[in-house]
Amino acid sequence: MDEEKRIGVFVCHCGTNIAGVINVKELVEYAKTLPHVAHAEDYTYMCSTPGQSMIKDRIKEFNLNGTVVAACSPRLHEPTFRKATEEGGVNSFLFTMSNIREQDTWVHMEEPEKAMEKAKDLVRMEVARASKLEPLTPKTVPVEKAALVIGAGIAGIQASLELADAGIKTYLVEKEPSIGGMMSRLDKTFPTLDCSQCILTPKMVDVERNPNIELMTYSEVEGISGYIGNFDVTIRKKSRYVYEDKCNGCGKCQEVCPVSRPNEFDLGLQPRKAAYVPFPQAVPLKFTIDMDSCIKCDLCKGEEACGELEAIDFDKPDELITVKVGTIIVATGFDMYDVERKEEWGYKVFDNVVTGIEFERLIGASGPTGGKVIRPSDGKTPKTVGFVLCAGSRDQDEEDGAKPYCSRVCCMYSLKHAHQLIEKIPGVVPYLFYMDIRSFGKAYEEFYYRIQREGGKFIRGRVARITEDPVTKNLFVTAEDTLLGAPLEMELDMVVLANAVVPAESTQKIKSLLTLSNSPDGFLLEAHPKLNPMSTTTDGVFLAGMCQAPRDIPDVVAHAAAAAAAASIPIHRGSVTLEPIYAIVDPEHCGGCATCIGLCPYGATELKTVDDKLVASVNEAKCKGCGTCGSACPSGAIKMQHFTNEQIMSEIEAFAQGW
Amino acid sequence: MADEFEPNILGILCNWCTYAGADLAGTSRMQYPPNVRVIRIMCTGRLDPAFVLKALSVGADGVLISGCHIGDCHYLAGNFKSRRRVALLRKLIEEYGYDRERLRMTFVSASEGALWAEVVQDMVNTIKKLGPNPLKQAGAAQLEGAVADDEF
Amino acid sequence: MKEYNFFLGCIAPNRYPGIEASAVKTSRKFDIELSDFKGASCCPAPGAFGSMDVDAWLALGARNICLSEKEGKDIALICNGCYKSLFEANHRLKADPALKEKINAILANIDTEFQGTIEVRHLIDILYNDVGTEKVKESVEVPLTGLNVAIHYGCHLLKPKFDRTFGSSERPRFFDELVEALGATSVEYKEKMMCCGAGGGVRSYKIDLALDMCNEKLYNMTQANADVIVNVCPFCYLQLDRGQVEIKEKFGDVYDLPVLHYNQLLGIAQGMSPEELGLDANEIDVEPLLAKIL
Repeated sequence: MDEEKRIGVFVCHCGTNIAGVINVKELVEYAKTLPHVAHAEDYTYMCSTPGQSMIKDRIKEFNLNGTVVAACSPRLHEPTFRKATEEGGVNSFLFTMSNIREQDTWVHMEEPEKAMEKAKDLVRMEVARASKLEPLTPKTVPVEKAALVIGAGIAGIQASLELADAGIKTYLVEKEPSIGGMMSRLDKTFPTLDCSQCILTPKMVDVERNPNIELMTYSEVEGISGYIGNFDVTIRKKSRYVYEDKCNGCGKCQEVCPVSRPNEFDLGLQPRKAAYVPFPQAVPLKFTIDMDSCIKCDLCKGEEACGELEAIDFDKPDELITVKVGTIIVATGFDMYDVERKEEWGYKVFDNVVTGIEFERLIGASGPTGGKVIRPSDGKTPKTVGFVLCAGSRDQDEEDGAKPYCSRVCCMYSLKHAHQLIEKIPGVVPYLFYMDIRSFGKAYEEFYYRIQREGGKFIRGRVARITEDPVTKNLFVTAEDTLLGAPLEMELDMVVLANAVVPAESTQKIKSLLTLSNSPDGFLLEAHPKLNPMSTTTDGVFLAGMCQAPRDIPDVVAHAAAAAAAASIPIHRGSVTLEPIYAIVDPEHCGGCATCIGLCPYGATELKTVDDKLVASVNEAKCKGCGTCGSACPSGAIKMQHFTNEQIMSEIEAFAQGW
Repeated sequence: MADEFEPNILGILCNWCTYAGADLAGTSRMQYPPNVRVIRIMCTGRLDPAFVLKALSVGADGVLISGCHIGDCHYLAGNFKSRRRVALLRKLIEEYGYDRERLRMTFVSASEGALWAEVVQDMVNTIKKLGPNPLKQAGAAQLEGAVADDEF
Repeated sequence: MKEYNFFLGCIAPNRYPGIEASAVKTSRKFDIELSDFKGASCCPAPGAFGSMDVDAWLALGARNICLSEKEGKDIALICNGCYKSLFEANHRLKADPALKEKINAILANIDTEFQGTIEVRHLIDILYNDVGTEKVKESVEVPLTGLNVAIHYGCHLLKPKFDRTFGSSERPRFFDELVEALGATSVEYKEKMMCCGAGGGVRSYKIDLALDMCNEKLYNMTQANADVIVNVCPFCYLQLDRGQVEIKEKFGDVYDLPVLHYNQLLGIAQGMSPEELGLDANEIDVEPLLAKIL
């Protein structure tokens, strides 16, 4: 440890990102004047192969025992330069990074002189820190050969099938009684017009049959602890009040059940019983009794119903199950924007204003009308139907909870709705009120042309207001045709609001359990928006589908497969290395006051007797390295590795040398 | 305007939220005053009160602690603990003759780049009103009587 | 007894003095005193001033508020335009310290400072939220049973929604409830929330367009068998009343639909005489209406 510190400073130009704002040569010269700096140099792209080689070569050439790279954020390239340092023969924890791009040249572009000053300060602070860094050894832990997938819509289904096919035991947890998610509600899918159920059902059945998949429906994740390779997951299997192993899906309980409730699956457009499956193709085909509406008449248990099968038990409790997995995929999907908040469109006030997903059920063969499109007020066939696109998307009205982003699916499904209407109702005219038609995918633009040819009328403008004729229940739509530059009013039989896709309420709980973050739009934050959209900042946790951002089915499937591939890597590798950033206690200085015990959120600190003295100790495996204990230790006995008091204090002192 | 007072502010940011938020401000090219120098720690729970006292004793004009929003801590509750520490420290530094506004704790998430820019701007405005660290004004930057700097 | 500084605005005292009279007299029945607001100027008009120079508009509005702050009285008013100017000025300056500082710098020229210590209330807000429909009902001596009322809320009363406290801006009910409390029927008519056509400078700038909008509104009200239009804004009042004369001249359409401020309707229901309520200042004769009620 007493070896003389010889630090190398490497300044990155990052093309013109850094060098275009500050003088990197001057920064190099400045670095050379700092204590312990044995060498300083600049290069166009430090992260490139020649850049990394430069670090390795200079370590040998100048006999360096510490490195500082002044470049982008350590959140981006710390691993890259740690590796280069290690390959140069120096412990990777003797490297540190100075963030002169994200937190300097990019945010002070208009004040280059001050940016230069700041860059010098930042480099000086990191050099000071580097002079106090200590070598550490990462520990390697085995990875549990199992994965957890949360949510069984198309994203979760796809990810589970991929993992299972790769030979990985997969626990698939779904909170609803059946898997299938939002896709199972759709009638046809754009632009190919494949029937949604026809392409989804086989996958659902595959999930049920795959020996590597353990499916848990009507279940919710309640707790997650541990870290990559070793997550302990607690799952609550809510009671269906039906034994799944005994239920054969015959449906007799449903026939005799006298209770009638709106079916959530059909958005309340048709009823279900208290004993129910959400839809006929449900997987698993096991009945659930909704205890909130059950009147306990016992008819379902009777001779004509479940009888001898004895599958129904009103006292069946919830079950808590714990499983151990190596990696986790979050596929919790999305919610639909509550378009009732847009008062001007009169949803839930006027009978004939429906949402896109309700229209899906109205036009779907498995829906309440068997696919016959009728308008809700009087059951008549609509002849003129308006489609309001961007209903809550691309809208900056925060007051109404509307979203500034594009929901990416509404243009296309509205085009599909228009097509389906034309196909089913002779003489019908669909009017699409749009801002822009975003038909970005494969064969999407062609589909748009097709609907134009088929007779869809496109009006470029937002719908300002919808009012209703109280007698006929016809709707008056006021809009502006921005291409004609004129306001227009139109009397329509029915209006469909293509409401926005919004982050799912239920995702928030999973987010807290896994300490994930949200991006500004409220969806889950990915590790990198372009290069790593399926990973998160929590190691071993991956994202699939709409929980990360709005996307259509092909993109969801691709994203889910990518997440599965990423989640299978640590499992197949068999082990992962963990950051050695954990606290250690110096028993000599510890007074056994136990202050740290109550502070640790993970229960990693405990009191032990060492040489007849009661002292604290830290369980390395449980410690996650937040350092809360270290900052509270009254005798300074706890050392937070890689963030020691000495290291941070030296940075503060170096900071003070700036004036 | 050349000799207008430019404060030296120390930022101590948690890795998961505010540091990432500050990075986002950079990626989005938001411009804010260049008066803050940042030290990255894994969690604001790591904030040893001595860091703040040290910074003020060596002449920092302000200290800005920033972490995850309450309830969003990557380590469950580190920010709760630092919030309490900062509240006490604000009272404590008054005893040393510093205005409590020289120490501030904010909550900026990884997605709030714009908020970070705002937080910095606001802190700089506040410190500009307060003027330089009194120790600096006294021309005694070496004065470190407030804390011992060797033993921690 | 609660005392307010009564902000009259411009149109009410100059065109329809009955609005002031009815407001003062009906409020007394609920132990509310609307006293003379000394030194008040124009609000100033939100369309003419607010659209041109926001700071000047806020500063002039704030000056009026400051006068009342000095007396420690809340402000009550009976005009949607005044409501927009004064309520928004008060609301915005209270919420935004930087804006307050900016406006106070202007006010410093006349040694005045906005403090943010009082409230600005529309009388209909006071009637609905403080007095309540029950008490309004109790005050009725002549129930208006069988009277079909077309209510006109007026735009500035409800919009922008984020700067108001009435909740729904598209389907509000409070005015309807106050009318129903008098025994009358509030009729639903097409485009009920549509503008009268006067505001935003339209009446001054393009009278034909303003009257066209007004004409549509009047037509829709007539289709719903309205006997009377009731509103809470002197400018809407002027447009709907005087506008009928102009529409008759320009387009030849005749409606003869009398117009009242809510407080005038309330006065009738409380048994006051038409003279007391200043109904003789109206362009459209109210006699047939009175004959129906009394």
